[in-house]
Amino acid sequence: MSGLMEYNGSAIVAMTGENCVGIAADTRHGIRQLQTVSCNRQKTFQVTDQCFVGLAGLATDVQTLSQLLNFRMKLFTLREERKMQPRMIGNMISSMLYEKRFGPWFTEPVVAGLDDNHKPFVCAFDFIGCLSTAEDFVVSGTTSEQLFGVCESFWRPGMNKDELFETLSQCLLSGVDRDCLAGWGGVVHVITPDEIITKKLKGRMD
Amino acid sequence: MVEVEEPQDYLDVFQSQRGGFSFENCKRNAYLAAQANIKPPTAMKSGTTICGIQLKDAVILAADTRATEGPMVADKNCEKLHYISKNVFCAGAGTAADLQHTCEMMESQMELLRMATGTEPRVCTVVRRLSSMLFKYQGYIGCALVLGGVDVTGPHLYQIYPHGSTDKLPFTTMGSGSLAAMAIMEAEYNENLSIEDGKKLVAKAIRAGIFNDLGSGGNVDVCVITKETGGAILRNYEKPNERKFKAQHAAFPKGTTPILKEEIMKLVSVEEDVVMRD
Amino acid sequence: MDLLGAPKRGMFRDFAGTGAAGLPNGCDSISEARFALPAVQDPATFVETHFSPGTYEDNGKRVKFSKGTTTLAFKFKGGVIVSVDSRASQGSYIGSQTVKKVIEINPYLLGTMAGGAADCLFWERNLGMQCRIFELRNKERISVAAASKLLANTMNSYKGMGLSMGTMITGWDKKGPQLYYVDNDGTRLKADENKPYFCVGSGGTFAYGVLDTNWSFDLSDEEAIELGKRAIYHATYRDAYSGGVNNVYHVQENGWVQVYSDDTYKSHDKYSAEREAAANP
Repeated sequence: MSGLMEYNGSAIVAMTGENCVGIAADTRHGIRQLQTVSCNRQKTFQVTDQCFVGLAGLATDVQTLSQLLNFRMKLFTLREERKMQPRMIGNMISSMLYEKRFGPWFTEPVVAGLDDNHKPFVCAFDFIGCLSTAEDFVVSGTTSEQLFGVCESFWRPGMNKDELFETLSQCLLSGVDRDCLAGWGGVVHVITPDEIITKKLKGRMD
Repeated sequence: MVEVEEPQDYLDVFQSQRGGFSFENCKRNAYLAAQANIKPPTAMKSGTTICGIQLKDAVILAADTRATEGPMVADKNCEKLHYISKNVFCAGAGTAADLQHTCEMMESQMELLRMATGTEPRVCTVVRRLSSMLFKYQGYIGCALVLGGVDVTGPHLYQIYPHGSTDKLPFTTMGSGSLAAMAIMEAEYNENLSIEDGKKLVAKAIRAGIFNDLGSGGNVDVCVITKETGGAILRNYEKPNERKFKAQHAAFPKGTTPILKEEIMKLVSVEEDVVMRD
Repeated sequence: MDLLGAPKRGMFRDFAGTGAAGLPNGCDSISEARFALPAVQDPATFVETHFSPGTYEDNGKRVKFSKGTTTLAFKFKGGVIVSVDSRASQGSYIGSQTVKKVIEINPYLLGTMAGGAADCLFWERNLGMQCRIFELRNKERISVAAASKLLANTMNSYKGMGLSMGTMITGWDKKGPQLYYVDNDGTRLKADENKPYFCVGSGGTFAYGVLDTNWSFDLSDEEAIELGKRAIYHATYRDAYSGGVNNVYHVQENGWVQVYSDDTYKSHDKYSAEREAAANP
């Protein structure tokens, strides 16, 4: 249980709903098991109006990649004068990771967004850029095994934004309660066609 | 005389670095691994069953849909059949990221070739390009492929190993479930099968992999390539592993989760009036 | 399948006494009951390489152990306070949040649990047995010094064989409240005026921080209990491998009493409010 992926600890989950999509992440920043350095590490990043990227894994790479992503998004809007769709963002991240196939970033991203037709899109990657899309939910981070389990039973089709929020939060909180390396509070973003709802969760602090 | 380089801004640098693999993290990663004495994380693999058969005037490929990450099923319904051109498709086993990107790369190469030559690509061209590329990377790109297509010279089925070796065969299976699938193939393959019977055969072979190999699972995807219609992927041709039950409990009522802070960002659409000036 | 009476051909011999570093075979008293040792040339090395828990990680081939803890105990004028968390982790997975890490050896003796859960549980139960036999033989209660020495002796006889245990043995005997630290190396330390407290486990450093700042011998019972809670709360907050329920015991002249048991989730509100108040007076 000692690897760069487990060095800082993280739990990220994204889920689809009816015309809405959500992403949740824990907030712990740890240094190995030795200590919890802070309880407000940012792991989800807004890349367009209606698309978030969650980055689990080694904190240094999470920060670098988020800045790189920001740079690529700005470059795209300057060149093309349009907004990137979530699926396109997914493909871009996939190639950004695969470019470093033999010297990878130690991060497993998750994309959650609404496209122009308000259709939810979620996808996840492994650390060398294998993109996998899903109709229901995707998970990432040290808590992924636990999250797979809870999401399999809690996710249901056609959730509205409130149901989506509750399901996402409950899955995240139950998941991290069984992981030493993640937790200490959480953040949930729910993206609907006309608003983005961000809530900070009160979680266990141990 | 010393050549003076034009000063470059970061965009030029960024542009010049595009394309190909980047090794800029290698040194750092090796250092981190040595410092912390750790093994690299596991990439997504497909412990897979894939197969293909060649018939009189068609090629049929099939694959299961399980992607694994160590002992965990990372994706229950992933796509292992890849489009290369209208008349060439392939099924892949091995490192999932390598498969995705290698096939995408081949797809773009074949499309460029088609546009340059004005002819549809031949299967042997794809095989040659793939095998040279994989050989060049000495097996470090973990792609095991079953590649099939129909071109001017008829239907062809190949298999390609990660180190670049190739075989041309009437029927083949690959991946961790290849033994189970091959048992079915050896018993029932016949080159005079109809397309419908061919689909049933490949599906049966994949089912053998799904049920008898732990690394394979999920659904059966089939791809039929004929001279007349080109290729088409029949996604989830069979679903032998559908979930038998659904969650019975009520949805969480609003307010279940304790919240510390809530922020709502309203999205408004901005319409710009563009005024043209002389 | 195991056939009754058939000689076992497994990795472990039924009963060993031969290879184990010249240890006595047979058992003329319960204290000398021995584990079956693996039938290999060097049992200690074999056990160490195959079955010992690493400090923070389990070697791939090794067995996963439950561990990761904060336990503490300190002496003060009113006796001894023992305060522990309740998390059991296996790797980074939380196996349980409701482990009883204070082992009630008998009404006058307490032991704590850090390291391998099974090792602590088994050997402290074994210690309870030895203490009872002492009582029956000598018609008086065993001293804490003697009890901890029995455990230390057991640990010493298995030294290097991969047992994992860091425990505090505490109680009240003829000489008053006593506190000892015993671990799997055979170390046995006594708490005295210079060193009135021990913290054991991965969260121990954080707990030491709190004790070093706030401990004094003249604490009242209430203050001492509060200090025990505070130290454990801060350890669970900072240490990934500690958490769950905080159990506090108070060792008094007439035996121990459990004085507190509650989820650390609730303490967070209290202590963070306190911190806020201190920051914005």
